[in-house]
Amino acid sequence: MTLTEQSKPAASGAIEVTTVASLARDWAARTPNQIAMREKDFGVWKEYTWGTTWDLIETAAHGLLALGVEPGDRVSIHAEDRPEWIILDLAAVAVRGITVGFYPTNPSAEVRYLLADSGACVHFAEDEEQYDKVEGVGRTAVPDVRSIIFVEPRGMVGKPDERLLFWDNFLDLGRQHKAQHPTAVADRMAAARPDDVMTLVYTSGTTGPPKGAMLTNTNAAFCIDKIVNSGERVPGGPPNPKDQIVTYLPLCHVAERIFSTWTMVGAGPVLNFAESIETVNDNLREVQPTIFFAVPRIWEKLHALSLIRANDASWFKRKVLAIGLGLAKRIGRIKVANDGNHTMQSRILAAIGWVIIFRPMRERLGLRRCRYASSGAAAIAPEVLEFFIGLGVPVFELYGMTENAAVATANFVGRMKLGTVGEPYPGIGLRIAEDTGEIQVKHEGVFVGYWNKPDKTAETMTDDGWLMTGDVGEWVDGTHVRIIDRIKHIIITSGGKNISPSEIENSLKTSPYVNEAMVIGEGRKYLTALIGIELDTVGDWALRRNLAYTTYRDLSEKPEVIELIELIVQATNEKFARVENVRKFALLPKQLDHEDGELTATQKLKRTAMLDTFGDLVESLY
Amino acid sequence: MFLRPNLYTSYEAEVQILPTYTKKVLAAIGIILLLLIPFDIPLITSATDLPLLRNIPVISNGIPPLRFLGDNSWLRVLDEALIFGIAALGINILTGMAGQVSLGHAFFMGVGAYSGAVLGGVSTSSVWGWNLPIWIWLPGAGIGAALVGIVVSPVAVRLRGLYLAIVTLGLVFLGIHMSNTTWGRHIAGDPGLGRDFPKYDIRLWKEEAPLITINDDGKWFGFLDVTDNQKKYLFLAVLFLVFILLAKNVARTRTGRALQAIRDRDIAAEVMGVPEFKYKLIAFATSSFFAGIAGALFASFAGKLPASQFSLALSVEFIAILLIGGVGTVSGTVMGTFFVVLTPKFVESFTEWLADKTDGGGVSAKLAEVVISTGPGNQGPISSAIQTPGYPLNVFDWNLVLYGVLIILFLIFEPLGLYGIWIKIRNYWKRWPFSY
Repeated sequence: MTLTEQSKPAASGAIEVTTVASLARDWAARTPNQIAMREKDFGVWKEYTWGTTWDLIETAAHGLLALGVEPGDRVSIHAEDRPEWIILDLAAVAVRGITVGFYPTNPSAEVRYLLADSGACVHFAEDEEQYDKVEGVGRTAVPDVRSIIFVEPRGMVGKPDERLLFWDNFLDLGRQHKAQHPTAVADRMAAARPDDVMTLVYTSGTTGPPKGAMLTNTNAAFCIDKIVNSGERVPGGPPNPKDQIVTYLPLCHVAERIFSTWTMVGAGPVLNFAESIETVNDNLREVQPTIFFAVPRIWEKLHALSLIRANDASWFKRKVLAIGLGLAKRIGRIKVANDGNHTMQSRILAAIGWVIIFRPMRERLGLRRCRYASSGAAAIAPEVLEFFIGLGVPVFELYGMTENAAVATANFVGRMKLGTVGEPYPGIGLRIAEDTGEIQVKHEGVFVGYWNKPDKTAETMTDDGWLMTGDVGEWVDGTHVRIIDRIKHIIITSGGKNISPSEIENSLKTSPYVNEAMVIGEGRKYLTALIGIELDTVGDWALRRNLAYTTYRDLSEKPEVIELIELIVQATNEKFARVENVRKFALLPKQLDHEDGELTATQKLKRTAMLDTFGDLVESLY
Repeated sequence: MFLRPNLYTSYEAEVQILPTYTKKVLAAIGIILLLLIPFDIPLITSATDLPLLRNIPVISNGIPPLRFLGDNSWLRVLDEALIFGIAALGINILTGMAGQVSLGHAFFMGVGAYSGAVLGGVSTSSVWGWNLPIWIWLPGAGIGAALVGIVVSPVAVRLRGLYLAIVTLGLVFLGIHMSNTTWGRHIAGDPGLGRDFPKYDIRLWKEEAPLITINDDGKWFGFLDVTDNQKKYLFLAVLFLVFILLAKNVARTRTGRALQAIRDRDIAAEVMGVPEFKYKLIAFATSSFFAGIAGALFASFAGKLPASQFSLALSVEFIAILLIGGVGTVSGTVMGTFFVVLTPKFVESFTEWLADKTDGGGVSAKLAEVVISTGPGNQGPISSAIQTPGYPLNVFDWNLVLYGVLIILFLIFEPLGLYGIWIKIRNYWKRWPFSY
């Protein structure tokens, strides 16, 4: 089904613009009793049909009208993934507002910046924790915020703040408004224009303060058409209402927005909200999603989890696992060498592996029914992907960024190349600048600019209107794109060698014991690395050796642990050229944290901040 | 949900007895097998003709595991297992689920047996009997026992653990003594011989010809010959299934959860809003109801029974069933019942086989002679005779020794009983290929 088929003439005779809200309404009209969302509540998955969902969206949209939201007004959402996120998001789009998503982990200072920068007038703070972040900054800092909607009443009763509005009361407001102005929302939807900005997606801000990328209805529609409904991308056809998706990554990030909200309205699968990031493994096992998107960090965790558990298994199971994992490795190699296709040999091996361990292992990981999995939003070590491909999880790497609505490249079924991010989507403009090697794109999905930052917008666009991605890439076999690194991250050593740190870092992170790695060497004689250990796995490793420890710092300072990491560094060095070898390394004395400013909300390293914090440590290595 | 067994969209789905398609199919097969056991099915019987199998002792004795039983001595043992199973399900509710250790289960079975006898038995000069049909006396037996259980239950609110066990133990002796009083004899009959109990036959009211006869041989559908034993087995099997369902349902309802809360910590349960008195009363009443039904079935099955049969030994047997099978679970109770009731029969056939072997020659005869003592000259530990003057114990005594040893072993090594062993095996494969 293409989008043009779904667009239907509005009452006035003009073509109604397709928005994510109108798509949701159309699903509700076509299949009102089909399940749209599930949320786990007191141990039971509560279901929302399309009919209920649209009813809630429409009511919430009336509620926003009652709160005086005009076209172009910003509605900010600061919550974990939950149905209300999607409902309010789509409601805001329905009334031609602009949704702004915040990361649940955003500390108070960032909330203040984001609220002030976006000028949101209605703010959704799900519970007391998120409300306190707004309250803490004081009223004068965020003068535009008129209403704060909350959905968890615990601890909120009796707060002396007239801006507060309980979700149920907000819906009541919407119902009253609907009774008085029954067509108000429909009128707004009919008036929507293709260039209406529908959301601000704040970049994670590895270098400076986050910038709000403005995405329009056209951008979203283009993205849904290219990514969601692309038949080439997903084995067994594009997503459909029978598919199950687990929503667990922050919805304010463009990747989760596309793989949850936009996929849901674009193709109609069921969204299952994970209870929290800690329970993702359990929720995956319950839901067994058919379509699964994860960032490299999650894939690395799943990979590490499998290896650690395999290590802990009883004697016989360990022996069988050794055989099975060996099979997975071989299958992975064969398939990777064959563009992701099976050969006769790999099919036979996969059949054996399926019987002995692949089926139960995928069941345990929650990927038993997975027909399409993808990795994106950051670079991933090829070994990790190879492992999952070997297990029979069809995982594809793709590439995109907020500024182009994530439409850039993807590995397509049967034409996969490991280590690349795939081929450009058909019909889009993608080029690699000859001088800098930077990847540039041009298509309908490219954003219209950064919110209130025309200078920054100008910096990201070339003179002929191409978007500069800031990533250095190269063509592989003339069809596939390989990302080398962020331009800003490329290290030029004092010897004048250009080195991409990400590859070395990802290789280090393939080990279950390494959680974080940052390679340093700009203007230096040789490369060094700051390495953060993974507390769970190294802690487990230490316990097995009767190595007593108290804190993270204590553990990282153990000579045995340093030896363990030394081996991993050596193994990585063997894979790279001599100049790319990490000569010295230091273990980080603390776990990195968003709140302390070392990581972004998406858990990416803030390199400048890291160098400030751990400057002494770095200097000690030279 | 199909393909996603762990995705529960309602609480009802979560407490389903048979949540998956596979389990439904397996349960159906199990029920069909259970109901087919009394019939002699030639196809499977012929397995005994296979030369390899013929030499296996159990099979050459006519008890092949691969054959349905037909009408033979094993069917009577199975009948007994089914009756004991119902009683065991009852004590599992009281001791297993609610944690109230009771040694008085035999007493409640007795109360049930004699309530049934008075309601359904034939009145003579020495005993009372109202000759009512089974649909009155069987439930009546249960209700009679349940009422006595309700009377006893307040004791459980005041006493815990060992003290409760002693009080309930007292009930057993009280019961046997009461059956010896003048009016007790009108109910229980002669202390030595007992009284006649009503038969399983199903009547609408007191008419001569029963609606469905269970105590006579007959022909079904005009061609299928069924003996009274087979009929009794089927009647009991159906009842057994009904009571399993009842017990399962008690376990997964609000009542069951309340009982388990009381078992785990009665004070904490009460603080959480579980009324201890009410639920202990329910536990005693339900448990006694099961015991009463089983007692009436047991007495009727025996035909004539003295009151001294409902003794401490019987109560202890149920404790053995629980401990060996697995405390607090329905499947464990069922496993325990079959294990405890069938083991003596296996031991018996084993000794018979050994005794046969001593008459033969070769190594097996020598081996058998070491174990078995057939006459005064032989000094093996097992006597093949029922009464023996010397020190070799007879088969029945060995059974008691076996129970004792098994209870000790299970308590030490596998407190969850047979069910625990099953859980361990299941978890090993459920967690495959990992260990957790």
